[in-house]
Amino acid sequence: MSHLSTALSVAFLLAAFASPARAAVNVVTTTEGLAAVVREVGGDDVKVIALSRGVQDPHFVDANPSLAVKLRNADLLVDVGMDLEIGWLPPLVTQSRNAAIQPGGARRLTAGNFVSPMDLPTGPVDRSQGDIHPSGNPHFLTDPRRAVQVAAAIAGRLAEIDPGNAAHYRERLQAFQGKVAAAGKGWKERLAPFAGRSVITQHKTLTYLLDWSGLKAAGYMEPKQGVAPPPSHVASLVAVAKAAGVKGVLVENYYDRRPADQLRDLAGVKVIVIPGDVGGTKEASDWVSYVDVLVKALGQAVQ
Amino acid sequence: MVNIALLSLLVAQAAPPDLGSQADPFPTGSMNVGAPGGIPIGKLMLMPEIAVVVDGALGYTTLSTDQQELIAGPLPQHKAWPMLQEVELAFQATVDPYIRGDVFLTFSPQGVEVEEAYLKTLSLPWSLQIKAGQIYSPFGRTSQLHRHQWTFVDQPVSMQRLVGAEGLSGPGGDLSWLAPLPWFAEVHLDYQATRPGFDETVQQLTGVARLIQYFDLSDSATLGVGLSWALFQAEAPEQWKNLAGADLYFKFRDPTSRSSVVLQGELYGRQLSEQAFSEARWGGYGQAVWRIDRNWEVGGRYDNAPAPVAFGGGTQETWTALGTYYTSEFFRLRVQPSLVLLPEGQTGFQGLASFEFTIGAHAAHPF
Ligand SMILES: [Zn+2]
Repeated sequence: MSHLSTALSVAFLLAAFASPARAAVNVVTTTEGLAAVVREVGGDDVKVIALSRGVQDPHFVDANPSLAVKLRNADLLVDVGMDLEIGWLPPLVTQSRNAAIQPGGARRLTAGNFVSPMDLPTGPVDRSQGDIHPSGNPHFLTDPRRAVQVAAAIAGRLAEIDPGNAAHYRERLQAFQGKVAAAGKGWKERLAPFAGRSVITQHKTLTYLLDWSGLKAAGYMEPKQGVAPPPSHVASLVAVAKAAGVKGVLVENYYDRRPADQLRDLAGVKVIVIPGDVGGTKEASDWVSYVDVLVKALGQAVQ
Repeated sequence: MVNIALLSLLVAQAAPPDLGSQADPFPTGSMNVGAPGGIPIGKLMLMPEIAVVVDGALGYTTLSTDQQELIAGPLPQHKAWPMLQEVELAFQATVDPYIRGDVFLTFSPQGVEVEEAYLKTLSLPWSLQIKAGQIYSPFGRTSQLHRHQWTFVDQPVSMQRLVGAEGLSGPGGDLSWLAPLPWFAEVHLDYQATRPGFDETVQQLTGVARLIQYFDLSDSATLGVGLSWALFQAEAPEQWKNLAGADLYFKFRDPTSRSSVVLQGELYGRQLSEQAFSEARWGGYGQAVWRIDRNWEVGGRYDNAPAPVAFGGGTQETWTALGTYYTSEFFRLRVQPSLVLLPEGQTGFQGLASFEFTIGAHAAHPF
């Protein structure tokens, strides 16, 4: 009897030590949106940290050397790509000395390589057009279709890195796909009555979501990409808003909302401040709740 | 930059229509992928990233050439003097899966110079990295920066006189190690031939050691602390000369905004071999810079440096103010007045107005 209990307690102890000893895959992402998708498919088989915060303008993250330390031990780096992080990620990746996460490395997943881009330049490109994204619009993660594609790519790569848990990643991917499909149905129903209506956004951050939902952007607060709105542009948007019947302007909370407020005063539109990513506000705590906040904002903006 | 997305469009348009039918005994499969003959502009994607930075200024000073000593390119006295300070040409790319290459050429009134041209390893074990070629010495903070990374229009006089007019640089190699600690701690050991500030006429064998650490105090505040030491060997082995430096950096940036405050200071000490420690020369600077918003930045700098040789000792103090206007990440205008206090009660005023633009590849934001 005592032998049995000793054996049992040893077994319990072993089990207790064995389970935390199974190392989770260390995933580092550039944005909180990507981290949220990794969390969906990785569950407790991964540990995720994002290099930037959802309250931050992803175009202007500092290349703080402390971030290189986070990259040094990364088993997988997931970035957006399409030049979004060009101003800060490349020096950090070099500084990290992590060979596998260099561009093209086995442990580097650039999400943009797995989705088809919108806003591709169709003619000559130069910076008289502003601080453009010449490889296409990198703000694709709010699109349910593309989010699922990115999730599938991440799940596939996690299964390669951590084959022991491949089945888990597959199951969680399916669960996420189901979740997105269910939520997407609700979102579509909510926005369907307004199909074809237009909003104004600050930057081209909602292009993909608008495309998915059948809504349109009549114009942008930025006169050119990455350029702050001057009063003359705000004035010109008054006519645009009237012609397209725009009822609302959406502005990410890291932008200065004053130009949008001016447009509100001139054109009688609503100003709706939205999170720029997962974590941008309290409600936007994961991918579904973030897009839910955006869909609600769009619903407000079109009526 | 060649546009991959545009390229894929081209490819898609070039592909013949899909004739695939299930009865086809020879399924087309990959037969319809890509344009016949391959992509004609594909090789352009292997071009290094190219950027050109141009710096021009209008300078005015009340100081004579003797009073300005060692400041790169002395200004004529009492004249508003236009200058094209520098054109920098940068080429950057990965060489192969293990190495990247960076080349920076500068064109200035002093001539054409290889500012840096180095390889950097990407996959050495144990968090090691080697940078080799024509490189800036891993000494101090501001002395390692290229002109377009400077916040102010010029470098602190203390750095120009004690470290080198253009910092320390030359052919050699730098081995660095990122310590396995939860914060950023990097150790550099470097062996080079440089032309230091105390004698720029000959190359001197130089050994440099540096420890640089960064601590995240919060989501908004970062502290950087660096210690550097350089040894120079001129003619004979016993004639070692010492140069030491300590630097402090503090950045506060609310992550939700483009606004930030940076406090930065450096201290330099130099002891030549024939000198007693008490004869060592000291200098340093402290500066505060406030990035107000996406367009505006203001700053101030105090510098304390050994006075020009013509004074036979003493110190020079320089008070500098800075106002910067950015139209974008690619263009800035700066105005920088300075008050210069020399020994024997001599004073002077210097003013610089400068523009800088970048064309080509998008450079990393300086931290
Ligand atoms: Zn953008």
